[in-house]
Amino acid sequence: MPPLIIKPDKQALPNDTIWQAIWDNVNLGLILVDQTGRVRQWNDWVAKRSGIPAKSAEGHTLESLFQDELNPPFKSALKNSLTHRLPVVLSNALHRSPLPLFPWPVTERQQTRIQQSIAITPLTGGADEHFCLIQITDTSISIKRERVLKLHSEQLSIDANTDALTGAHNRRYFDERYKIEFNRAQRQGTPLSLLMLDIDFFKDYNDNYGHPAGDKVLIAVVAAIKSQLNRATDVVTRYGGEEFAVILPDCEAPENHAMAEKLRRAVSNLNIPHCKSKITGTVTLSIGITTLECDAKCSADRLLETADTALYEAKHAGRNRVNYLGAAE
Amino acid sequence: MKTLSELHLDALTEVFNIGAGRAASSLSEIVGEEVKLSVPRLQLVQPADINMQTLALNSPRLGAVKQQFSGPFDADAMLLFTEERALEIVRDMMGSHISIEELAEYEQDAMCELGNIILNACLSAMADILKISFQSSLPRYVVDSSDVILRQIIKDTNLSIMLALHIDLTIEKHHTQGNLVFLLNSTSLQELIAHIDHFISGI
Repeated sequence: MPPLIIKPDKQALPNDTIWQAIWDNVNLGLILVDQTGRVRQWNDWVAKRSGIPAKSAEGHTLESLFQDELNPPFKSALKNSLTHRLPVVLSNALHRSPLPLFPWPVTERQQTRIQQSIAITPLTGGADEHFCLIQITDTSISIKRERVLKLHSEQLSIDANTDALTGAHNRRYFDERYKIEFNRAQRQGTPLSLLMLDIDFFKDYNDNYGHPAGDKVLIAVVAAIKSQLNRATDVVTRYGGEEFAVILPDCEAPENHAMAEKLRRAVSNLNIPHCKSKITGTVTLSIGITTLECDAKCSADRLLETADTALYEAKHAGRNRVNYLGAAE
Repeated sequence: MKTLSELHLDALTEVFNIGAGRAASSLSEIVGEEVKLSVPRLQLVQPADINMQTLALNSPRLGAVKQQFSGPFDADAMLLFTEERALEIVRDMMGSHISIEELAEYEQDAMCELGNIILNACLSAMADILKISFQSSLPRYVVDSSDVILRQIIKDTNLSIMLALHIDLTIEKHHTQGNLVFLLNSTSLQELIAHIDHFISGI
């Protein structure tokens, strides 16, 4: 196709040559069928992607040109549009590729049909002549783009909820998840245990060994905690600094005590030297537990405060221990 | 000024049920399973009475497929579903191989097609039976808060009248209710009544 040269002339409407050029240059498949369903014309876009030149298509029905390659809903849609002269759309979501059209330019690779979105609009050519214009949009690119965007947004939402250093969930995630689990427990009348964990004398560790070493401890502690949690619904989050929160849905005494004890022991068993620890000489955890009992009337904030108080008491009672506190109504 | 009598409403209900039957067979062909569609009730609503209760759609958000029809009389047609229902319908139509997260990108596309099938079927049944013909715009799908959609209906109505068709749709054993709404101005309503009268007198 030679480049279009349109002379500025306000008087004249584009002539037939120009209309033909427009018809063949649009980045859209166009098929004009008459009221008997025969192709009157199709544009370059369709010719290239179907492998059938416009001249060979003229005067034939789409069924005879494509035979079994047409999908039945497309045939019905075209028939409906020709009969009732109402516009019809065929979504890519429900049909994918109604027409046997293939990417252009043709490559050596095995060809799969172009993803299509189709609109059929009735046209009146004056007097008693009626036509249908079939417009075909290639949606392959927009579908690919949406896939990429979806992958990106999934990654972003993971990032937004993850603590970059330890890989545990972050505080933002905790706040949301805790609310959801708390409401679920109250609605279903099931118990919910909440554990607050804190690394003993962590500030002293940082001061003595330096921050990079402190970071390694945080990573190791999270890995140790994660290795002990076995249900997908059990959640460990970095609540702040060296403090962690574990949500255990559908869990009450004595299982929550056993779990807390397992976590304490797992960290203690890491045997990470901590010469500034005033108790054991290794890195240890203090843990506060509380439980929302079935049918208890306690607010989410109150339960969280109770777990915090339980942790505070564990610290005062000598650290490296688990302390339980019941949630007051 | 004439208004629709019980007899008119009965005749129209029958016409729209023929359309619903046609739409159901088109939809069955796409879904590959039996789709059932019926119009159990038709209601004439004055502009002042248009609200969520008359539409029997109780949801903060609605999805609407719109087409404008013109011919011997003009009508703005709109198929309304609650947003959740719209999503369920799309999921049923596409089969279970698609996850709910993937649906959003297809929702608009698929709802346009569904609405187009139902709206065209109802209008073409009416055109066939009343021996008239319509032109129409391509369908558009909008999702918005119910207030916004309702306000738009009321504004579009502009002192005209609304025909509300309650529709029952069953896809893959899931039962859904929606509404098909036609907005007619008073001239168009008079034309519609004249055509129905003509049809009834011909029986």
